[in-house]
Amino acid sequence: MSRSGACALVSSLLWLACASAQDRLEVTGEADLRWVAASGAPSYLNGGEGLLRFDPEHEDLRLGYLLLDSRLRISDTLSAHVVADAFGDHDRNVVDLSEAYLQWRPFPIDAIRWSAKAGAFFMPVSLENRGPGWTDVYTITPSALNTWIGEEFRTIGTEFEARWLGASQGYLGDVALIGAIYGWNDPAGELLADRGFGLTDRPSTLFGGIGEPPQEAYHEVDRKPGYYGGLTWRHHDWLELRALRYDNRADPYAETRTAYAWHTRFSTIGARLEPTEHWTFIAQCLDGATTTAADIVTESLFVMDYRTAFALASFKQHRERFTVRYDNFQTHQASGYYGLPPNEIGHAWTLGWMHDFGHGWSTAAEWIRATSSFPPRVEYAETDGLIESQLQLAVRYRLHASL
Amino acid sequence: MTQANRDSGCDSDRQRRLVAGVLDKSSLFVSCCVVAWLFTGLSPSRAGDLIVTIADRAGKPVPEVVITAAAQAPRPGAKGMTPEPAVMDQRNLAFVPQLLVVGVGAEVQFPNNDMVSHQVYSFSPAKRFQLPLYKGAQHRPVDFDKAGLVVLGCNIHDQMVGYIYVTDAGYYGKSDAQGTLHLNNLPAGDYTLTWWSPYIADPADKMSTTVHVAEHEPGSFHVQLSRELRARPEPGARQTDWSY
Repeated sequence: MSRSGACALVSSLLWLACASAQDRLEVTGEADLRWVAASGAPSYLNGGEGLLRFDPEHEDLRLGYLLLDSRLRISDTLSAHVVADAFGDHDRNVVDLSEAYLQWRPFPIDAIRWSAKAGAFFMPVSLENRGPGWTDVYTITPSALNTWIGEEFRTIGTEFEARWLGASQGYLGDVALIGAIYGWNDPAGELLADRGFGLTDRPSTLFGGIGEPPQEAYHEVDRKPGYYGGLTWRHHDWLELRALRYDNRADPYAETRTAYAWHTRFSTIGARLEPTEHWTFIAQCLDGATTTAADIVTESLFVMDYRTAFALASFKQHRERFTVRYDNFQTHQASGYYGLPPNEIGHAWTLGWMHDFGHGWSTAAEWIRATSSFPPRVEYAETDGLIESQLQLAVRYRLHASL
Repeated sequence: MTQANRDSGCDSDRQRRLVAGVLDKSSLFVSCCVVAWLFTGLSPSRAGDLIVTIADRAGKPVPEVVITAAAQAPRPGAKGMTPEPAVMDQRNLAFVPQLLVVGVGAEVQFPNNDMVSHQVYSFSPAKRFQLPLYKGAQHRPVDFDKAGLVVLGCNIHDQMVGYIYVTDAGYYGKSDAQGTLHLNNLPAGDYTLTWWSPYIADPADKMSTTVHVAEHEPGSFHVQLSRELRARPEPGARQTDWSY
């Protein structure tokens, strides 16, 4: 997407901020400052091959993020939602948007409630990223699975949801069917082939891309829409299951001057269990493949399989939250040629602690240790196997306002 | 008339006067009794108390259960409890209380004490209504004029579910932490006792019974649930997806 598009959407955000309807504009802003200590290879966000956000050259005091999450109620059933972010990495735009969409959510008149979204927004996959601006509420960095979802995927199109509201029928829970049609996701999969899975808390932005140099993530290459369909089941207040099938239906032979099309498809299923108000357990896995005609000589198709899974346990008591998570991830070149085979095998442990001071102030600490083997690193980083670790201490302030 | 007859006649008059006097006193006594009966509500409709306890299959008390008592042969003029205004609050993205019981005709306020706005709705047959986006106490109270269960939702936060049990029974309330409800001053007679909670899984035909409220002495009835309760989330705010 172009800068002029970004300007137009930022202008629309300012317009939202100037809207005068009482209590119809709600804005949440959050600032996150970090102290970081890291070891391992330079981060891919800094032009290197490391899979974490920070590296030994980018330590000490860092900007975690600045975000502005705003929603304008245009009417009682129609709202506009815009999320603006600044990350302080090597971003093309100092401030960019990660979401901008309209949502229609009519009052239910029977047990089925319909709703729709149109614009650019995250697909409903993550069971971790439940905070404003898609932030993780259990620790600082989401799993490898949801890091990748945040990096390469955005629904730029329309999503429909039909939700069966079970409470009205004597069942404590609900079931939702979700379907979406979208475009501009044709390059999805390229970052995974180039770098393998990553573990960072920064999603790509709509206009500025991600990485160093920034790679724009969202292009329409083949003019073919993609789709996903999913199911969400919420049972009482303590169990939620999500399953989703994604297929961008990209033509692997299509390309433009600036981007290649990658036919990326995957299935994911996850569960969140909250047996008490203190404990949360999450497990989620994703399995899929991506295909592109990267070999311009033979035009043979390069196919890469990938799968990742994680398990998380989190304990919350009063103002404290403690989280431990295990990630496992791998990619495998099934056929074709894409330089050194991007066969990654890796795993990571994450320990997190959060404390809520109240009045908008909070702090978080996180330690990640990731071990991975990725042959393309041999060429650039003179190592295949890699052990990276990162310690972060974040101070956050959140402000909420209604205008 | 002989003296004896006069005497006799005098005696008869005295007796008549005496009898009349006794009758007057009896009438006064009966009248007093009737008045006392009217004012004190003694037998046959003398008020009694009913203590209802409810326990799960393991014998553990079940709190927050709606219990109603409806007279099977209501006396003309017997009013029962007067429907009173009630409040269904919204705090920490939840309805507080989750379950409210009111009499038919009660007005319920829906103040929103959360930081974010809510859109409360119900499409239950007993009451269909919508409260457009709001904070605080912007909306007028809602009149619940029909008996039945009203399931509440928030159009923004799907995890918010609340219940208003609107009853036309004369006597009602919710069990306390000990699983007990005291219903006071019920006229003696037979009552249909009904209990309900979203967490009770017993079949509907096992959720009511007939109890007799006797004169003078307080009655009690114990409800023993036959099936396991549906899982009740532990109290406390859970992490919910961010949404205004």
